[in-house]
Amino acid sequence: MNLNPFWSMSANSSRKRVDNEEQSGHGEQRASPSRLPFGKKQLPPIPKTVAPITKPMSTGPPVQSTNGTHASYGPFYLEYSLLAEFTLVIKQKLPGIYVQPSYKSALMWFGVIFIRHGLYQDGVFKFTVYIPDNYPDGDCPKLVFDIPVFHPLVDPVTGELDVRRAFAKWRRNHNHIWQVLMYARTVFYKINTTDPLNPEAAVLYEKDVQLFKSKVVDSVKLCNSHLFDQPKIDDPYAISFSPWNPAVHEEAKERMFAFKRRPEDHHKGTQVSGLSWVKPGSTQPFSKDDNPPQS
Amino acid sequence: MSWLSRLNPGNRSGRSAAPSNPCTADPETCLMVFENHWRQVSWVLEQHDSLSSSDDLIAVRNHTDQLLCLLAEELPAEVPEGSSASVPPMGPILKLVVTKSILERLLQWHLRRGLDPDSQGALLKLFEMLIGQSQQPLLQHTAILHPLLRLLGACADSELGCPSALENSLVLLLNQVCVSMARQPVVLEMLFRAAPAQQGSTNLLIFSLLVPFIHRDGAIGQQARDALLLVMSASASNESVAQYIAENSYFCPVLATGLSALYSSLPRKIEVRGDDWHALRREDWMSVSSLVLFMNSFEFCNAVVQVTHPVVRSQLLDYLHNGFLVPVMGPALHKSSVDEMIASTAYLDLFLRSVTETSLLKTFLRFILMHRHDNDTILDTLMTRISSNSRLCMVSLSLFRTLLSLNCEDVMLQLVIRYLLPCTHVMLSQRRAIRETDLYGKSANKFLSLIPECCRVNATPSAARDEDREAFWGKMLSSPTTEFQAPARPNTPSRLSFFIRQQSSGGGPSSPTRMEPLHLGLSGPHPLSPDSPIHQQHTRTDCLDWDSGYLEYLKDARWGIERCSWACRDWSAPYDGENPSPNTASLPPPPPTSNPSMAMFPEHFSLQQGGGANTPRVQQRAAIVAAARSEWSSSERDSGEWDVTIGKNNCISLTPRSKKRSLQQEELLPKPLPPLVTSSSVTSLSSSHAISSPPCQITTSAGTLSYQAMYNGTVSQGDGCLDSRDRGLEVKKVKRDLGEQQYLDENANQNGTMVSGSTLPNNVFSNSKITITQPAAETKPLMRNISEPHSTSTDLPETNQLQQSVESIIEELLEQAPEDHQQPGDSNGQGISIEAFTKELRELEDQVNKHSRAACQTEDIVRESLSAELQEEVVMEAKLAGKVMGDEALAGIFSPAQPLNQPVSQPYTVKSRKSSFGDLILRHTNSPTRARHAAQLAFAHVRDGSQSLHSALFRGGGGSGGGGASGLERQAEALRVKNAVYSAVIFCEFLKELAALAQEHAVTLPFPQSEEAEE
Repeated sequence: MNLNPFWSMSANSSRKRVDNEEQSGHGEQRASPSRLPFGKKQLPPIPKTVAPITKPMSTGPPVQSTNGTHASYGPFYLEYSLLAEFTLVIKQKLPGIYVQPSYKSALMWFGVIFIRHGLYQDGVFKFTVYIPDNYPDGDCPKLVFDIPVFHPLVDPVTGELDVRRAFAKWRRNHNHIWQVLMYARTVFYKINTTDPLNPEAAVLYEKDVQLFKSKVVDSVKLCNSHLFDQPKIDDPYAISFSPWNPAVHEEAKERMFAFKRRPEDHHKGTQVSGLSWVKPGSTQPFSKDDNPPQS
Repeated sequence: MSWLSRLNPGNRSGRSAAPSNPCTADPETCLMVFENHWRQVSWVLEQHDSLSSSDDLIAVRNHTDQLLCLLAEELPAEVPEGSSASVPPMGPILKLVVTKSILERLLQWHLRRGLDPDSQGALLKLFEMLIGQSQQPLLQHTAILHPLLRLLGACADSELGCPSALENSLVLLLNQVCVSMARQPVVLEMLFRAAPAQQGSTNLLIFSLLVPFIHRDGAIGQQARDALLLVMSASASNESVAQYIAENSYFCPVLATGLSALYSSLPRKIEVRGDDWHALRREDWMSVSSLVLFMNSFEFCNAVVQVTHPVVRSQLLDYLHNGFLVPVMGPALHKSSVDEMIASTAYLDLFLRSVTETSLLKTFLRFILMHRHDNDTILDTLMTRISSNSRLCMVSLSLFRTLLSLNCEDVMLQLVIRYLLPCTHVMLSQRRAIRETDLYGKSANKFLSLIPECCRVNATPSAARDEDREAFWGKMLSSPTTEFQAPARPNTPSRLSFFIRQQSSGGGPSSPTRMEPLHLGLSGPHPLSPDSPIHQQHTRTDCLDWDSGYLEYLKDARWGIERCSWACRDWSAPYDGENPSPNTASLPPPPPTSNPSMAMFPEHFSLQQGGGANTPRVQQRAAIVAAARSEWSSSERDSGEWDVTIGKNNCISLTPRSKKRSLQQEELLPKPLPPLVTSSSVTSLSSSHAISSPPCQITTSAGTLSYQAMYNGTVSQGDGCLDSRDRGLEVKKVKRDLGEQQYLDENANQNGTMVSGSTLPNNVFSNSKITITQPAAETKPLMRNISEPHSTSTDLPETNQLQQSVESIIEELLEQAPEDHQQPGDSNGQGISIEAFTKELRELEDQVNKHSRAACQTEDIVRESLSAELQEEVVMEAKLAGKVMGDEALAGIFSPAQPLNQPVSQPYTVKSRKSSFGDLILRHTNSPTRARHAAQLAFAHVRDGSQSLHSALFRGGGGSGGGGASGLERQAEALRVKNAVYSAVIFCEFLKELAALAQEHAVTLPFPQSEEAEE
């Protein structure tokens, strides 16, 4: 599988369809690429077809809000913390990294990373981020590649990236999920072999770089050959790839480029034009003005 | 056919049915007829004897009539082939008119024999018909233009002038000229270039003739304004005409100073209808003719600014600023009577809302922000009035709402940001935190933690349910392996609530009570599916839920923030704590200290107590007398009412409130727990109710509520001030004693009374229902809404009923009571026993005090936290939040009464909280229905109780005869209690809204600056 310059991603929004159906051009696909960089911080809509869950089953550790009296709002705090994290990710504009929270849980994010140069050049690695439910007070999030990449810091069996070495202790307010994503990108450009999860890769990198390189190329090829596979996790917002199909993707691409974020329309047609007569750099009102009335 | 009937202005349509219908007649015949007429006229015209008979005049008139009709209805000649002339060639009649100067000669004849008003009017109408109807561009021919100008010149003649009878015709003609000028811009040039000798003193005769009619009432004024507007837009691109208008005409000064004249005839006092009135809406002013007149002219101003040449615009704006705003609006806003202040503030608000042109808006804003009247900017003056406790506060807040809605950087800078820029409100070491996003909902949590205990649904959570909920939430996808095996399930609250809601609503018509599981409280409709039937269904149910709608708040907050940040994307700086730098920012000015209007009404302005010590005594003297006067009059009005106070030991005390308020305030300053209800706000509410509902005449006649005294402040009892201050001490003592006693009472009661949930009020209600004679019908729908929520979702009329504001309920209650009173026979027959009644009353008091106490404590907390910890969080987001919630929180926080660079530990005065209450209620009146629903529902807990309280009270009063006075007291007390509960409920809704705003801020993405091309 060679690299098609027109990769297109799309959230697998129509997950109801037959699973082995060919991935090419599906009419209902969301223009996910446009959503990612500018994603609105919204809770995803709920399809009416989803069956309600009737009874809670397990009893996890309760989420205690700080003072305990407002436990009722606790879930809002968590969801909004994660939304805020996601907003931070968007603001960071990490090169080659795209993530999208799962439909089913705000604690699970799907992502893909494009490696544009270096040893892993042309690699397209899909991954999933798992955020602990006691976030932000718990451990650092996990980042698991869908296909274990041949890399000293990636577990060859589970595909999990060794994130913990970078975030020995997850500190609220200091550590953010975008840093995890950033870290995931860095490891492909700056290879660290100490204390590896994949000793083979580590040893090869130090002893036989050529062999290491060829193994990396094989790994990249393997990953890319599975690019059009169905997402591993069945979720409407999982990231799925399909070959470039102008009929489907051209329009989405154009919308992406033409996109201009505007505030959501609201039924009230109120005036939104903000006014300013402040000269940039000044903190005096009406400083921009050149001819004030003589009074 | 006759001259008169054709020229009857109301008979315009008759003209098309002109005598010689030319559309059917062929042009040659028309020309022959025309020539024939002209021959006869010219024969008369050529008789040079000055003594032309009236027969001559009639003949000339008749012929002229025919001539001009023929001319008006002539079609332009056909364009010869190959000709590229843009102007179509003249028809034969027009050609004849031009070559023989027919009109000129006609007019000369008229002028020579002396133009009598009759002929003048006839000519005006003829010309108007000619210009309005002609198919050809007549005005481009000097042979027609010059006679016209000559005729108009005669109208402008200072000696002859224009008889008032002809004004209509004149303006109509001018209007027609302007219309055709707008169609043929070259005419403007011709009009302008026409030699001054020919048209009198001014270059643009049409213009100067129209100007006097700018501010006229009725159709004539409208036509004149329309015509002027046409000239304005036609001259927008014509530098010399614009220059002429600006320099040689009186247009701008007349327009601007005319506004001043019109303003002076506006009512000084606005008759208000409802208790919740706070702004002039269209339906309010449409019935006030002077205001309609003003608004017509004002809108004309706005339109002129919109279309005119920049030269004229800037001149007009200058005149508006210096000829209307500064000399008229400024003093009007500083009038000494509260009524006038209210009126002028409401007018200013109306004007601001009516302006659509940015440059006109700028003129107004510059006036408000920069103009200093008596050393204080208008903005500062307006701000001090927020803390007043009368309608003035509401109206001022309404004005601020308008100001904030503009999303104007300059306004926000003056109002909020300049105080924050130096970052003196944050410790140096903490400044970094300003820029940090509040990722974990710290502020929201803080806000929510301020919700009074009594308003918390989860105060009595069932442990099992709690676990259930946590189970939902706690279900985690912590490891990939679990994820792959376990069926994925939504575990975020919105989705969570969605499912639970489906579940519960599917469970049959079990009505959600207040004790319903927490889930319901959480579950608003899903933000993204507002149109789904589920949403609709759930909104209804939510209305009945005490703690509902948080998601709705989040949704509103998101929309508000997005809209605001979109609107502010072109501000000069992001105000993010870095730009502009805190180090370069100049310190904000100190708050205004010597505002005379503040000194006049110390009870309205909280600053007075704090800053009064600094000002020289002598200066204060007059103010104190005035203050005492108003104090006296208001205390007179208050006499017989009670203060509910919470002492140090948390006991509730009821104190008769008489002539002691000013002192009480001072004494309470250092206290941690101020009085429960700010007394004056309640009073104003009750008194205005007394006025608004006719049955309450009893109240007024009893002399306890003196509306006149309250507003005019003219009761001349200036000496009373000293007395009242002295007496305050005594009263204070009494109050304390009372307080302790009450404390005991309360203890005693608590043993016997079960104050849990809604059981008590219901009982009370069912007891008292028997005693209610007639008002049952009114209250029933509301009750049913509470008790049978599921029926409401299908029953539309009842839903409407539900949306009734709480105020109207209060009013209803008040109204029904005196009606009972007026039928003593009934009440005697069905009245309940005094013992039962007093017991009921006591129970109710307990119930209500419980609510109110919590509310009061909360207020304290929110005051502290708002001013201390949360300030930073709220305010550094001022750029965004400021506009969303500025009208709620910021205005209160940053009023000069509490300058930021002063230590936050400085205690608020008692009065300062009133702003927040008034504010909340103001918000309520415009708030989305959910707040109203919530408040209403919450109110229901006490409402049914209070209702019985009321009916019982008035029954008791009517029955015993002598108990009337105490009945009144209790009525006031019940009202105050209602107010307190009501405030508590709105307060917690307000907190939810603030929390939602705080949460949404953390997830907001800024908008990029728009390119220059945009806008």
